Amino acid sequence: MKHFDPVTLATPFFVLTVLLEIVFARLGWLKARYETRDTAVSLTMGLISTLAGLPLAAVVATVGLWAYQHRLFTISTDAWWAWVAVFLLEDVTYYGFHRISHERRIWWASHVNHHSSQHYNLGTALRQTWTGAVAGTWLLWVPLMFLGFPPWMVAIEKGISLVYQYWVHTEAIRRLPAWFEAVFNTPSHHRVHHARNPRYLDKNYAGILIVWDRMFGTFQAELDDEACRYGLVHNLGTFNPLRVAFHEWIAIAQDLLRAPRHALGWLFGPPGWSPDGSRETSASLKAQWTARQAADTPAAGREAA
Amino acid sequence: MTYVPADASFRAVTHGLYIQLAGSAAAVAVLVAVAAWANIARSAPPLDEERAKKLLGVEFPGREVERVWVAVDGQGAVAKSGGMALVLCRLGDGFVARQIPWAQAVAATFRDGRLTIDLRDVAAPSAVISLPSWPPKSLAA
Repeated sequence: MKHFDPVTLATPFFVLTVLLEIVFARLGWLKARYETRDTAVSLTMGLISTLAGLPLAAVVATVGLWAYQHRLFTISTDAWWAWVAVFLLEDVTYYGFHRISHERRIWWASHVNHHSSQHYNLGTALRQTWTGAVAGTWLLWVPLMFLGFPPWMVAIEKGISLVYQYWVHTEAIRRLPAWFEAVFNTPSHHRVHHARNPRYLDKNYAGILIVWDRMFGTFQAELDDEACRYGLVHNLGTFNPLRVAFHEWIAIAQDLLRAPRHALGWLFGPPGWSPDGSRETSASLKAQWTARQAADTPAAGREAA
Repeated sequence: MTYVPADASFRAVTHGLYIQLAGSAAAVAVLVAVAAWANIARSAPPLDEERAKKLLGVEFPGREVERVWVAVDGQGAVAKSGGMALVLCRLGDGFVARQIPWAQAVAATFRDGRLTIDLRDVAAPSAVISLPSWPPKSLAA
C-alpha cells in the first residue's frame, strides 16, 4: 500500500485517453480541438515535470518526515475514517493551494504554465509546472503530517486528487447529472476555471469537491450564453517550453531589478499588480467588465422600450 | 530477508526511471504525431478588417480603434487607439494581443515587407506582421 502511486499507475491511462480524444474528435464523435505545437508543448511540459521535482524531493521528504515525527496524534491508517478525513483535509488544502496559486504572483509564476494553452483538452491537463517544488507550495500539506497522517498516506491522496483532475480537462463532456455537478468538480466547472473571460476569472479552484468553492464564495457556473475563451489574460506569443515554464519568474525578476523597493508587491501582490496601478489584475478586469455591463444594461432597456 | 546493497538498489531505481522516461518520451512523440495527422485545430481564417476589429473588441473591450492595418496575409494586425498601438499576431490556430506605446510601433523595424515589433515582453517577445509599407505617413509622429 505504501508504494502505491496513483499518478504512475494512471500514466498509461493518460496516454490512451489523449489518443482516444484526438482520434474520436477526428472522426467527429466528440468535441475536441488539438493544435500540433500546442499539444507538443503541453506533453513536453508534462514529461519534464516528472523530473523537475527530483532535485528537491529529498528536502520535501525530510520536512514531511520531520513533521510526522513531531505529530500531535497517531492516526491509524487501518481506520476507514482516517481515509475519509485525509480525503477531505487534502482536498481543502488543495483548494487553498490552488487559490493562492492564482491570487499571489510568486505562486502564480509556478502555476501559470498550466493555464497557458489557448486550448482545453486532455493534453492541457498534462501541461504541469516545472517549478512547483521551488515555489514551496508543498509546505501547505505539511500540517496534515503534523496532525498525524503518515507522509505516504498524504502522498497517495494527493496522487488520487491529481488523477481525478485529469479527466475534467475536456470539452467532450458537457454537463453531468445535477447532483454530481453540485458536489464534484466537473469538466463544466473546470472549463470556467481555465477561461479568460472577466466573468470567469479566479473561479472554481476545486480539486475533487466543488463544495469548497460554494462555501468560500468562488463558485461560478458555466453559462450557456458565455462560451469559455481559454488561456491567459495576455496569452503567450511563443511555443518555446522554456519561455512557457519560466516567463513569469523572469518577469518578476525584471520588476524586482527595476523597482526593488516594491519587492513585496511584486512577489505577493496579485498577478498584474503594479505600484501605479497601470497594469491589469483580475479584480480590475472584473471591475471594468462590471462597469461595461452596467453601462450597457440601461441602454438595452431604453432600446427595448 | 534478502540484503540488497544500497548502490544496487539506487541503480535499480535509476534504471526504472530511465525506462519510464524513455517510454513517456516515445508516447509524447506518438501523440504529437497523431495530433498532427488528425488536423483538428480550430478553424482560424486570415484576418480582414472586420475580423481584426471584432478580435480587437474582444481583446481590448471598450477601446476605440481609430485605424487598423491588417497584414497582407491576414496573420496579424496593428491598430491605433489613442497613444497606444494594439497588436495582433497569429500563434498556432489562435491570436496573441498586446498593447504598446504608438511611438514604439512606429519605430519598429520594417524590412522586405515585414514589420518586426519588439513587444518587450518575455512572454511574447516580438510580433512579425506583413504590411505593404510602414510607418503610415500621416500618423508617424
